[in-house]
Amino acid sequence: MILTLFAVCALTFFLMNVIPGGTAELVLKHTLVGLEDSVSKEQVNQISSRYNLDDPLYIQFFRWIKEAIVTGDIGTSYVFKKPVLYLLALRLPATIQLAGVSMVIAILAGVSMGIYSALKENRISDHILRIVTLFGVSMPGFWVALLLILIFSLKLKLAPVAGYGSLENLFLPAAALSLHSVAAVMRVTRISMLETLGQEYIRFAKAKGLPLWKIVSRHALKNAMLPVITVIGFQMGSLLGGAVVIEKIFAWPGIGSLLVDSISARDLPVVQGCVLAIVTMFLFVHFLVDMLYTHLDPRIRYG
Amino acid sequence: MSLLEIRDLSVEFPAGENTVKAVSHVFFNVREGETFGIIGESGSGKSVIGLALLRLLPANANISGAVLFHGQDLFSLRPSELRKIRGKCISLMPQNPAGALNPVLKNRLQIEEVFEERGIDKKEGMKKSLRLMKKLLLKDPEKLCDLYPHQLSGGMRQRLVACMSLSFEPELLIADEPTKGLDPEAKEGAVELFTKIKKEYGKTMLLITHDLDLALEVCDRIAVMYAGEIVELDKASKVLGTPLHPYTKGLVRAQPRNGLVPLSGQSPSRISLPEGCLFHERCRYSGIECFRKHPEMKNHKGGWIRCHFQSLQ
Amino acid sequence: MDNVFANRLRKKSFSLPEAYGSQFAKRVFQRKDMLFALAALLIFAGLALFAPFISPYDPNAIDLKNKNLGPSEEHILGTDYLGRDLLSRILIGARTSLSIASGVVLVSLFLGTAAGCAAGYYGGLVDESISRVIDIFLSFPGVIFALTIMGALGTGIFNLMLALSIVHWAKYARMMRGQVLSIKKQEFVLSAITGGAGDFYIIRKHIVPNAIATLLVLATIDFGHVILSIATLSFLGIGLPADVPEWGAMLSAGKEFMRTAPYQTIFPGLAITFIVIIFSILGDGMRDILDPNHEGGEID
Repeated sequence: MILTLFAVCALTFFLMNVIPGGTAELVLKHTLVGLEDSVSKEQVNQISSRYNLDDPLYIQFFRWIKEAIVTGDIGTSYVFKKPVLYLLALRLPATIQLAGVSMVIAILAGVSMGIYSALKENRISDHILRIVTLFGVSMPGFWVALLLILIFSLKLKLAPVAGYGSLENLFLPAAALSLHSVAAVMRVTRISMLETLGQEYIRFAKAKGLPLWKIVSRHALKNAMLPVITVIGFQMGSLLGGAVVIEKIFAWPGIGSLLVDSISARDLPVVQGCVLAIVTMFLFVHFLVDMLYTHLDPRIRYG
Repeated sequence: MSLLEIRDLSVEFPAGENTVKAVSHVFFNVREGETFGIIGESGSGKSVIGLALLRLLPANANISGAVLFHGQDLFSLRPSELRKIRGKCISLMPQNPAGALNPVLKNRLQIEEVFEERGIDKKEGMKKSLRLMKKLLLKDPEKLCDLYPHQLSGGMRQRLVACMSLSFEPELLIADEPTKGLDPEAKEGAVELFTKIKKEYGKTMLLITHDLDLALEVCDRIAVMYAGEIVELDKASKVLGTPLHPYTKGLVRAQPRNGLVPLSGQSPSRISLPEGCLFHERCRYSGIECFRKHPEMKNHKGGWIRCHFQSLQ
Repeated sequence: MDNVFANRLRKKSFSLPEAYGSQFAKRVFQRKDMLFALAALLIFAGLALFAPFISPYDPNAIDLKNKNLGPSEEHILGTDYLGRDLLSRILIGARTSLSIASGVVLVSLFLGTAAGCAAGYYGGLVDESISRVIDIFLSFPGVIFALTIMGALGTGIFNLMLALSIVHWAKYARMMRGQVLSIKKQEFVLSAITGGAGDFYIIRKHIVPNAIATLLVLATIDFGHVILSIATLSFLGIGLPADVPEWGAMLSAGKEFMRTAPYQTIFPGLAITFIVIIFSILGDGMRDILDPNHEGGEID
């Protein structure tokens, strides 16, 4: 995990430094807002040598890594003139709140609906749920968000259009963000549950005379959850990606909207910081998923 | 008095637009205290019978006929009533013990859950089970309970499953292919196991197997199935000692100690069964009648046989 | 019982690639949902291909007098904030999305197959290093990764294709690697190796034909994902230049007028959803046909 994180740092660093124009020029342009045209060659060179920007990329990278590890300094924003770490700390809670709530919704709704759908296989309710799922995974998140605003904010006036802070504000973004994951989780749960219910140990459990609810809750659920957990891990990625757009639409002050704004403003240190923060969260969730998986499946635990 | 009476049992599975006839018009009785064997090659429908008895087939199976247990039709029971019979009065020892044990639950939980369900004290039940496990030649049963199924050997799993299905000393035990997929050593162990079960419990047993050695060793009477039908039914020693039906003859001859003469040809497709006798394509005795007319079950010297020429043989 | 063994042999020969084609087409025709999706896709592709000829207006013609009109007889789906005809723009937008997505999927499929083959077939250090790279690429959430690359490269059709290909190839590589590992163990490959066949010959003749079906399923499902990614990036204004008609960008422009002209957000979104659903149905159907035991799963 550490190694992957290191590689991700390197990759982002490299990406951020291949941009045309050069870092020094960008720094200058951000400093002299309004006077961009007056940027001269000498000034660029001056900045370059002051920040050692003429050194080869890998040297710059290792200097950056060293700074990051020793002092926790991962750069300063060109636009806000504040340490990137400070900006991230400011924005992180909002993203964690939004992604966390959406994840919880996705797991609770997705798993329970998936089980229900599997138990009612090929009945009307199963078919309806499957069609809903198909739409859920196919609709772009930002469109869902706009539709929700259209219906609940503009027409029904039930929820605020945008904002941050209260529970009301959380309602629409979380719904828009979680829909895709709810559908994806439900889909896998249904398939996995159906497959599990066809296993011999389920038949043996029936032959033992156990009631259906016990068969489902004790024998099927734990087995059926294994693939679901993997998918939940991957869904965290699509949730964090989706959060970028959703945060932008609902003016949610999280890392996602910071990332988009920084890309538009070419505020590279911040972009880099945001990417690192998001990837770290993603990897952390994957780590948790792996732990959970091993915990649930004794065949892995005892090799 | 027969404990179990099967009347005209047929099972069909839909397969796309066709239906697969897995079992057709099967009749037999299992008497109290006897061990009744059903033998036949893979896919002859013998396992389907076992599962059909306890209504354990997938929901898309089409089942007709009646299964009388103590004179009560199991097919007309409500699910809750059926559940009381399953595992307690009639229990199933499933084929493939590796698949029948839930991989993510500890063995102990899987043993004691049946007691919990029937309102019996878990500790009492476990004590009984542990005694049973010792009797069934399992070493260290206490330790074994705290393991997961994948940590046991094939033979151990087999015994564990046997022990689970004997938890309530059921009146009827259905053993489905107990030797399938076991290595020769474990197979011998299985013969020993079943002789033991039979001796110690003296319960009625329905043994479904393709292992003729096991059948001969353990069974009192045997039904031979071919392509979903019973083709011969008689005392075990008679069926396997002096087989009458050409198919049974073939099966016996295919045994290693009888020269390993294979039966040529294949079972007919179960979607469109051939006219006449289902076995005529592979039968070395078949005559014109066999192509035209489907033979009925006929009484022959105390047994039953489905062949046009039983008197000739 | 020898006939059991014979049966098994017969079944095995069925899964050889030569038997795929006709069998596969037959199964597709048995499934109504796939037929429907296929027909819809053909219509969509036809519309996209002939968009310049059938669209009622020039998609880029600005007509400020007629801006933000609702659906009417002249403009079936209405006009946008510059008075451009929405229907025409959606039709041309189909062209943009489908062509970029095709490019991305083809490039990723090719790169992924090559990398996956190399990793799975040669194993050892090659596998170790390629797998590491795949892991790193997969540890970015897709959209974030694409965003970052676009941030570095700037907007543009080529840049967008490049960015999305960089993001998507790793999925194919991972799947191909897994496929190769399982195919490599099978007898026909072993016998080819024993027979002295060269690596390239084995890869070309045995491994790729056996793995390609699974990869095509992934590609079909992924096609929908790529279209979603394109729309998302354009929606954020980081995908295509402003003058290229694209559904996501249209949505983004339309959202400013949601209060008065909601159809500007509804129609492009419908178009995206529709096309993604088509690819979902096709991909799932293909997977069901090729692998009936595993109806659905972890391709994501």
